[in-house]
Formats: sequence, structure tokens, C-alpha cells
Amino acid sequence: MSAAEKIVDGYRFLPPSLAAWVQTFIPNENFSEAIPWTPLSKPVKQATIALVTSSGISMKSDPPFDMEREKREPLWGDRSFRSIPREATEKDIDANHLHINTGYVLQDINVMLPLTRMKELEAEGIIGRLAPTSYSFYGFQWQNTDFLTEAIEPMCKNMKAEGVDAVILTPA
Amino acid sequence: MSTIVLTPTPDWHRAVGIPRSAAIEYPFGRPLGEVGDKEGQRKVLLDTLSVLEKAQRPGEIRHLSFTWPEEPKETKWQPPEMSPLIKVYLDEIKAARKAKG
Repeated sequence: MSAAEKIVDGYRFLPPSLAAWVQTFIPNENFSEAIPWTPLSKPVKQATIALVTSSGISMKSDPPFDMEREKREPLWGDRSFRSIPREATEKDIDANHLHINTGYVLQDINVMLPLTRMKELEAEGIIGRLAPTSYSFYGFQWQNTDFLTEAIEPMCKNMKAEGVDAVILTPA
Repeated sequence: MSTIVLTPTPDWHRAVGIPRSAAIEYPFGRPLGEVGDKEGQRKVLLDTLSVLEKAQRPGEIRHLSFTWPEEPKETKWQPPEMSPLIKVYLDEIKAARKAKG
């Protein structure tokens, strides 16, 4: 990989005040407990891969994520999820998110959920298969664990039913 | 299932413990790249898949080499209206910057 030298600055795009505030939440120490680890069960070129994004994308045919309640309750974030079929393009989606500019993903779904790029890699044999379904949820989950049962569990169940081996997650 | 997160915030990942991370210095909301940049998006995706395949240990973070072509102020990644959370904590946010000096 050509990437070895660069160290990504995760604060570069934040205004200085917001960067300073965010840093007050991040401990200097690295995480020291056990981290879950599932080895890749087969090479990428044979694997079925699903995508998951936290950017508030929904199909136009589904209800949008709830922004109005968050405006009334600023520490609440919609904890539901949406299924996004592999055929979806920017023409098929809405995007609702109060923490980012959603204009870009509405122009090109691949900036956030690269379904088209994955299908190209599938056709070239670089990945085994893009799963029939990918997923979207709303990334603002502030001190909330219900999300695990209400969104993560059903997403995982469906992924297993579709034979997913690996997941690429793209936080907004 | 194995997971890989393509993230603009590797410091969070270091602190909270994520199985595999590919860190990218791109603005929020566009981790794959610019609108319409098929070749650039493909390169980011290929490097992400490479991290998925090559990561050896839980918590591994590999930093991708890509550089966003605009200065941060030009990226316009923020929402058109200040988020409800930021409105609530605005005084605290301003204080955090003063405290940092």
C-alpha cells in the first residue's frame, strides 16, 4: 500500500473551537480492553461484502430519518436504520443529517456509499460480490445503547441471511 | 463478519477500540472522495479493501496517503444551519478553544 508515511489529522477540517471541544472527549490513552476481532474468512476476491453508512441516507420510497424530533431534543438522534439495495443510485435516495452537508451524497451516492464502485470491482473480480443489501443509519447516537438492539441487531441478522463475510463502514 | 471502517476520525478509533480502521484525511460526508471522481473513489476503496485483508491485530489503524485538493475552509462540509447539539453547547465549545489557548 502506498500509505505508510502519512499520519491523518482527524481535526484538520474542524473549526478550531469545535476541534478543541471534541478533543476534550478523547482520552490520551489508547483503548486498553479487548477489541472484538473476526478474521477475514476468505480473500476479498471471494468475499461477499456489504456497506454500512451513518450518513442518514434513505430510499425515497421509505420514511426519511426524523430530524424534527432532534431539533426539539438536541441530544436525541433517530435510532432506526434503512436498507439500501445494491441497485440504488443518487436518484433513488434522500439524505437527512443535521451535522453534515448532505448536498454531495445527493449528487453522487458513491462519495459516502460506494455501491457503483463496488459493483465495478465485482465485475472485475477484485471482490467476490457486493451483497444484495447495504444499510444506512443516522450517525448521531449520543449516549444511547438502544440503537444496538433496534438497528445493529436486525442489520446483522439480515447480513448473515445474505451470506455477508465482511462489512465496509463509512461514517459521515 | 469482519469489519473495516473508513474513517476521518482515527483519534476516536484509537480511544474507543475499533477492530480495523483505514484513516483518511477527507472532509466529513465524503470519505470516498469528490463528487464524480470515479478514479479517486476507486483508489480509496481499493486501499480500504487492502487494509481489510492485511490488518493483523485488533485495533489496527492504517493511515491512507490521500490528500484532499481543497483547503479546509473551502470544503463546505458543514450543514447549512448550525446543528442542534452545537447550539446547546456553543458556550462550552468557545470555552474549550480559549482553554487551549
